[in-house]
Amino acid sequence: MNAVDATEHYEARADDPSPSLLTIILDTNPHAWATLEDSLPLATAVANLLVFIDAHLACNYANEVAVVASHTHKAAWLYPSHEQQQQQEQQQQQPHQNAPKHIRTDGDGDVAMKGETQGKAQPVNKYRPFRLVEEQVTRNLRHLLESTDLADVKASSSTMMAGALTLALSHINRRGIAWADAHGGDLDTAQEGASSTRLKDSATSTSTSSTGEGLQSRILVLSVSSSTDSAHQYIPIMNAIFACQRLHIPIDICKLRGDAVFLQQAADATRGIYMALAHPSGLLQYLLMAFLPDQRSRRHLVLPTRVDVDFRAACFCHRRVVDIGFVCSICLSIFCEPPENGDCLTCGTRLDLADYGTKPAVLARKKKKKKLRPNGAAAADTPTPVGTPGP
Amino acid sequence: MSSDEEYIGEGTGDEEDINVGRVGRAGDASSRSRRKKQRGGAEWEVSRTWETLVEGADGTISSTVGSLLEAGKRKRLLRDTTPLQRGIIRHLILILDLSQSMSEKDLRPTRYLLSLRYAKEFVVEFFEQNPISQLGVLGLRDGLAIRISNMSGNPTEHITAIEALRNQDPKGLPSLQNGLEMARGALFHTPSHGTREVLIIFGSLLSSDPGDIHQTISTLISDKIRVGIIGLAAQVAICRELCAKTNGGDDTVYGVALNEQHLHELMMDVTTPPATFQQKQSTSSLLMMGFPSHTVEAHPSLCACHSKPSCGGYLCSRCSSKICSLPAECPACGLTLILSTHLARSYHHLFPLINWVEVPWEHASRSASCFACGVNFPPVPSRDQWHSAESQARGVSMSSRYECTVCKNHFCIDCDLFAHEVVHNCPGCQSGTIHQIPSAETVEPCTSKDRQYPDQMDTT
Repeated sequence: MNAVDATEHYEARADDPSPSLLTIILDTNPHAWATLEDSLPLATAVANLLVFIDAHLACNYANEVAVVASHTHKAAWLYPSHEQQQQQEQQQQQPHQNAPKHIRTDGDGDVAMKGETQGKAQPVNKYRPFRLVEEQVTRNLRHLLESTDLADVKASSSTMMAGALTLALSHINRRGIAWADAHGGDLDTAQEGASSTRLKDSATSTSTSSTGEGLQSRILVLSVSSSTDSAHQYIPIMNAIFACQRLHIPIDICKLRGDAVFLQQAADATRGIYMALAHPSGLLQYLLMAFLPDQRSRRHLVLPTRVDVDFRAACFCHRRVVDIGFVCSICLSIFCEPPENGDCLTCGTRLDLADYGTKPAVLARKKKKKKLRPNGAAAADTPTPVGTPGP
Repeated sequence: MSSDEEYIGEGTGDEEDINVGRVGRAGDASSRSRRKKQRGGAEWEVSRTWETLVEGADGTISSTVGSLLEAGKRKRLLRDTTPLQRGIIRHLILILDLSQSMSEKDLRPTRYLLSLRYAKEFVVEFFEQNPISQLGVLGLRDGLAIRISNMSGNPTEHITAIEALRNQDPKGLPSLQNGLEMARGALFHTPSHGTREVLIIFGSLLSSDPGDIHQTISTLISDKIRVGIIGLAAQVAICRELCAKTNGGDDTVYGVALNEQHLHELMMDVTTPPATFQQKQSTSSLLMMGFPSHTVEAHPSLCACHSKPSCGGYLCSRCSSKICSLPAECPACGLTLILSTHLARSYHHLFPLINWVEVPWEHASRSASCFACGVNFPPVPSRDQWHSAESQARGVSMSSRYECTVCKNHFCIDCDLFAHEVVHNCPGCQSGTIHQIPSAETVEPCTSKDRQYPDQMDTT
């Protein structure tokens, strides 16, 4: 009932440009940034990124931004950082000191840092949203890097991309709900209708601005790690990609180094922009030219698109990225080679290497099949599957 | 008024839960209670919804309404997360009743138009959930079964065919037997590793058949075809028998829609891949598949499948011949080519996110805001108020916090809903932040999370 009401409001609303929420995922993998040291040190990249964020915030007074760091051992918020935000609120409400009881040590650091920056006489005339973002991002990033010890870096060389994407999506969801509450739009109908609107999009190519209303969200990933390291995150990453697809959130990829198989698929599936930078030192230029326009403007632009999309998958057994794999017909798990004993590693079903291809009988192959059947347990001893069927 | 509506929503949500959760468990003990619940339509009619509303301390009912809303959300969410074996390569025939009984207006605007609209939504959702499955649509009219669209994996084909039905009027009597026989014929050639299913949207209370439908039922059983029926009017004995017999005695797949929303839920339930029963399991096999990459060429070249010149396409991973669209079988070497995204779309059925648990006030002080979205939780009240709050509906956390049992982080109800219904990831586990565990171990649970599921997998 509520929904019916809200949709009517929704359609009757005047067509003022809706704000956009840009969520940036910064890959802070130290291994990767170390190799980029010559062309683009992390400090420069962050400085460029901050300019880009300012540009985004300047586009519309209601534009929002969020920054997530995808580090080697965890994904963390750089902006807005919820703990500090909350603490500030608490402090404003109750000036006498009982707030730090809840919050950990960085709470104290927070206050101290603020005093410092004020002491250094930061430009007072700076637009406040710019200043807030810059302060928080740099402070939280510093905190994150300081809290990383040698063990964390040694433990893994990959990055928590799936976690960062999930956090970003949760934030987008929350902001979407908040925006809908404030503006009378109804997010639920928008979400539930997503599947049907998608259909409309594909059927009638002139999409009837189904995504035009409400808070427009998009995700930008600054990726430096190569994805073969993150093959163990294959399923969560794919889940996040499909969620974005459902919610019409494009994932833009700005690739500074390495290869990113899954991120390519992400950009392709969500109709985002994929760019591998030939010259990482020109990061700011790429950001401002390619990634600044929001979905609304993008309809009128000729976008840099990546035409070759790598659709390889990660196998479940060794986390290898494969282009020919064996798929269990029950659970669709992908294996790079037939599993031992012919038992599916995921669902445990007894599998026989069946007649894939199902072409008219080729003699050699039939023989092999017969050989396999009687001693089924030995089926997996042959590492290579049944030979290539004849032409 | 609003609370009334809300309550109906919950009642139907409950029913949905039962349908989803119990599909795989055909047990005698539970079947009786299940049947009782299935008929549960009468329950909400006699319950007095206004009595569940209690004034809060401030004299308003807003807090109660709020918690009812939350309970509704949560109920929708608490489903069985046992990783069942599911048939993901599905072959389904959707049979629509197009007989004169469909012109009734008890479902607005008419049964006919509503079922057509939902059928379109069903097709979209079906391919969303089962990307490598096949679907066909049949209709029952004038005592005949008519073919609306052929078995195919292309949703737009079905949707245009269903759309075309809008201009026609429902007429005549339906014949279940004819429809089932035609569906059986359409499913005859499907490979044994996929499921064979029939879903009937049935608005009539009769079936005018040319022969003995019981014979048809027994052939359906021998062909391993499962039939599910959604009634629009009332329960029909033969439908229940048909569902029970073709589903191994489990008649939960027969549902009668109470209202429009319930019909929608019943239909959408079918889009979830069904659990497979071991005894019915035909030969499972390991399929060799290729995951080709998309390429674009400067000059057009002929594709191997249609011999038409085109600039782009997919190169077979084994023999590098060019194919225009996926999924397909390589015409040169016979390798099954598929987009890995097609497979990955259904993984969340196989590795479901476990339900999060409610957090009592005792442990609530650990967190002040939601881990994922940062929304503030209500502050912990003084100890003596912990138990004073009346016991709320099952599954609702008093402290508004929900905890993932793996990473021990606390989340709000919205993130709970979002994580389980949309993303299918736990933000905490994926971020590698484990509460109360020293940082040296934080990496471990994340990698072990993926490995953990195979162990839990139901291997029966």
